[in-house]
Amino acid sequence: MQFKDYYQTLGVARDASADEVKKAFRKLARKYHPDVSKEADAEARMQEVNEAYAVLSDPEKRAAYDQVGRGYQPGQDFRPPPDWDAGFEFSGHGFSPHEAAGFSDFFAELFGHMGATPRGTRSAGFRAQGEDHHAKVLLDLEDAFTGATRQINLRVPQLDAQGRVHLATRTLNVKIPRGVRAGQVIRLAGQGAPGVGGGPTGDLLLEVQFRPHPRLRAEGRDVHLTLALAPWEAALGAVVSVDLPGGAVKVRVPAGAQSGRQLRVRGHGLPGEPPGDLLLDLQVVLPPADSPKAREFYETMARELAFEPRRSGRT
Amino acid sequence: MHDDDIFTGSLMEASWLTLEQVAAACSVESDWLVRHIGEGLFPHVESIAGTWRFSGASLVRARRMRELERDFDAVPELAALVADLLEELDALRQRR
Repeated sequence: MQFKDYYQTLGVARDASADEVKKAFRKLARKYHPDVSKEADAEARMQEVNEAYAVLSDPEKRAAYDQVGRGYQPGQDFRPPPDWDAGFEFSGHGFSPHEAAGFSDFFAELFGHMGATPRGTRSAGFRAQGEDHHAKVLLDLEDAFTGATRQINLRVPQLDAQGRVHLATRTLNVKIPRGVRAGQVIRLAGQGAPGVGGGPTGDLLLEVQFRPHPRLRAEGRDVHLTLALAPWEAALGAVVSVDLPGGAVKVRVPAGAQSGRQLRVRGHGLPGEPPGDLLLDLQVVLPPADSPKAREFYETMARELAFEPRRSGRT
Repeated sequence: MHDDDIFTGSLMEASWLTLEQVAAACSVESDWLVRHIGEGLFPHVESIAGTWRFSGASLVRARRMRELERDFDAVPELAALVADLLEELDALRQRR
């Protein structure tokens, strides 16, 4: 196991005051905030920053870390001496055991007692009822159309008989219901943390997000798609085939369709009660004038059609 | 894979979350939620016959507000304002 230099993670000196630690943390929390950060690895960096702050902001943990980490360099192989933590009593500090599940094995090894005493009797930090676990699950939009079974891997903290927290990977096969929408939560009853002292087991809550799709975009139950049309299809009207994950549908495009107009096809969005609509954003695409024949067509149109595209009200 | 190994969940719209469930999932006290609802900081929470019920979106909001308060010592109104902006951002990104 590699030694982690939490001072280096936060960019503070070893003798930094509590205020300096807090200030450095906030600066990084802003930089790597997963919702707004432009950094590619923001979520992973935020996890490291949270872990470092969980230790350095807590006087008990910081003192223990300073004592056991004396003489270690970052990345150096690290083994804590047996019973190194005798005399320290750790309490949860702002981060829930579930959040701490994202922390490193180094953290788990050092502070695995979070919220529990070595004898396995729990301190006041733990509820009697098993906690609901909460995880994000990334799905493809196709899954919402057709329903699917997906394998989901979760890192969950587990307490052993000594009251230490170990990280275990749990794999679940979860049925994704048809018609699921972004932001919705799938609840798996009884799949959260086990209850304590006979308390009920918590639930597992999976928050649904979709990976970006190259062609489709879901907004609630409605599905948006840009539909390319040839000029003659737009001008004369046409029946065109639109490929959707649930199968192709035929759509009648009215004569005189223009780019920027929207066609609503009722009932062909995401499945549900009622199903969503398919919204086609029309885009007229011009064939290139890259052959004598094509040039001739365009020249004939220019000559024969009294068409003024910049007439007032058109653009 | 046997059918027995596959978990079938219920979608949250048909089954709303209770106050206790949101509190447990976001590691906040129930009082924290009740106080924030009372101050109007959770616009989409409904009270049916005296019982609060939360949608999946409220769960994300509660988690964000709690982290903002914890990480930046934000006052609840500021945390709610930032949560509003992040929700707006989510909607805009969806539209992209």
